[in-house]
Amino acid sequence: MTDTILQTAPGKTSDTAEIVLSVQNLSTEFHSKKGIVRAVDGMSFDLRKREILAIVGESGSGKSVTSLSIMGLLPHPAGRIADGRVLFEGRDLGQLSDRDMRKIRGTGLAMIFQEPLTSLNPVLPIGRQMTEGIMQHLGLGLAEARERAIEMMRSVSIPAPEARLKDFPHQYSGGMLQRIMIAIAMSCDPRILIADEPTTALDVTIQAQILDLMRTLRDRTGASIVLITHDMGVVAELADRVIVMYCGRKVEEGLVEKVFHRPRHPYTLGLLGSLPILGQAGAVGDTELTEIPGVVPSLDALPPGCRFSERCGFATDRCRAEDPPFEEAAPGHFTACWHSDQLERAAR
Amino acid sequence: MARFLVHRLFAAVLTIFVTTIAVSMLIHLVPGDPVQIMYAQSQGTTPEELDAVRERLGLDRPLVEQYISYLGRTLRGDLGVTIRGEQPVLELLLARLPNTLILAASALFIASIIGLSFGFVAAYKRGTWLDTTLMTTAILGVSMPHFWLGLILLFYFAVQLGWFPVAGSGFPNLVLPAMTLGLTNAAIIARLTRSSMIDIFDQDFVRTAHAKGLPKAVVLYRHALRAGLVPIVTMMGLQFTYMMGGAIVVENVFGWNGVGRMAIQAIFQRDYPLIQGFILMFAIVVVLVSIMMDVVYVLLDPRIRH
Ligand SMILES: Nc1ncnc2c1ncn2[C@@H]1O[C@H](COP(=O)(O)OP(=O)(O)O)[C@@H](O)[C@H]1O
Ligand code: SF4
Ligand SMILES: [Mg+2]
Repeated sequence: MTDTILQTAPGKTSDTAEIVLSVQNLSTEFHSKKGIVRAVDGMSFDLRKREILAIVGESGSGKSVTSLSIMGLLPHPAGRIADGRVLFEGRDLGQLSDRDMRKIRGTGLAMIFQEPLTSLNPVLPIGRQMTEGIMQHLGLGLAEARERAIEMMRSVSIPAPEARLKDFPHQYSGGMLQRIMIAIAMSCDPRILIADEPTTALDVTIQAQILDLMRTLRDRTGASIVLITHDMGVVAELADRVIVMYCGRKVEEGLVEKVFHRPRHPYTLGLLGSLPILGQAGAVGDTELTEIPGVVPSLDALPPGCRFSERCGFATDRCRAEDPPFEEAAPGHFTACWHSDQLERAAR
Repeated sequence: MARFLVHRLFAAVLTIFVTTIAVSMLIHLVPGDPVQIMYAQSQGTTPEELDAVRERLGLDRPLVEQYISYLGRTLRGDLGVTIRGEQPVLELLLARLPNTLILAASALFIASIIGLSFGFVAAYKRGTWLDTTLMTTAILGVSMPHFWLGLILLFYFAVQLGWFPVAGSGFPNLVLPAMTLGLTNAAIIARLTRSSMIDIFDQDFVRTAHAKGLPKAVVLYRHALRAGLVPIVTMMGLQFTYMMGGAIVVENVFGWNGVGRMAIQAIFQRDYPLIQGFILMFAIVVVLVSIMMDVVYVLLDPRIRH
């Protein structure tokens, strides 16, 4: 019952809304002298209109590579999409010419990056960095573009925007710069905003403001948002649906309420801060653990079977031998774990 | 910014001051009697005449006194007269200086155009055969001595093809020396541009510019090149002073009437006042150019400006 209420709550997207972005079986590889690594391995998801979809996972799980693959901004020539496709409003982005792709960037798909200071050009005034995209995509002249830039800066609560157009990135604070990044990204009314760890570099109070801002923008413009983060708190704050990634793959997917209420993958439990220590599953008093033991395995040294087995408190021989399939464990709630049923009991 | 400039100006004045000390003592670094050496090649100078010169140069007075009087004269713009012909040194130098500056500036222009475009293309196409070809050419350029390239150009374009005059100081005469000086320095700029641009192409803000959907040319020029230019322009300031030095050789190969050619003649003739004047003027030009480059650097990089 709660599910129906959640799905129709204001601001929430519905299951029937139009799919604006469809990532299908995406695999991305990096070529280096040491060989080829598959940083994203068979990733699939749909993003609906007005939806905020979170992709969460520890550092190195392939979140940024996923977003750069969608944007067509993989580092060249090391990275390439090895398999799968990305459909934006039904168009296969891999089939588009460079020129057509550039028309979609900024207007269809916009992106904000983790480090606002390095992501803006240090030798160009902020005003120029705001107006150039507006002039390019909306066909406005400089004066009108300036107006639009000021309006956008106001919408992200930059004080005295007129006076700040001529300033350079180093004259802004980190929080203000991330607002600028959002303002730039939103300035041509993109249908989809991909935000790669937009608040990681910021302190907590600023974080909350930025997240709030993104929600407001979604509500006002009807854009869809892919929110990338390693912080479950951010997911809870903002997202409708969440995908948990580990070593380039999805391990769990579902509505935020469902996943938080009943996580079905030990890794998700770990991210939520209550994973039992390896070999002590079910031990009393271990629920305060906030760190998942061990480290993300290197992509060229993945364990056989389940990729999480080396760090998992629930791992059995089967886990170490066979790769669990990604399957629907409950309606609309998917996971890749052999023991997701037991997890339910353990979590109780 | 103001503090920075004051600091630079102070350093500049200090540099020139030290140069004046070195220059005024130069004459004593040569073993033997300077006056005799100066006039060794001119037959029929009487001992009385030599004494008069000694008197005029004040070479028998204490060093400190000599220096103070040298500094005093220099500050008044009096650099003395040449040994032969007794023409004012300052006037001679100023008459020839524009020719050298024109040569160095044209060479810098050629070096920048070629160096920037080679380096930029090589960086953009890094790892391809084009990159390898451009950079191999650049290494050849760097390792080629000025006089050698100068002679090759002179032989081929002036003597064989007859496209340019062999010597003289009109515009057609400028082409070959400027090319000689420009091409060897283009190679240095090309290599620096390549490494600077490769660095820039990997920067986050270039990716952001692509993410905005800007045309490739805009990303490359407005974003990448502008940011990459800061270290390159700094380098160009240094290049200009190298070129002033290179001009001494090149002017002599091509008979270009600049201060470099005059300096070599002065050295052969042991014309100390002229050599001293040349060194001092050279130091002043180098210092002025480096201050100008600092200002350009500051203008290009807003992080330093504020
Ligand atoms: N430029 C690159 N060259 C080689 N490998 C890379 C590169 N970028 C990412 N990878 C590989 O992809 C993995 C996932 O990276 P990333 O998507 O940045 O992780 P996340 O954003 O989840 O922290 C990395 O651990 C690394 O192995
Ligand atoms: S399949 Fe096994 S090892 Fe993998 S997450 Fe589930 S319980 Fe842990
Ligand atoms: Mg990342």
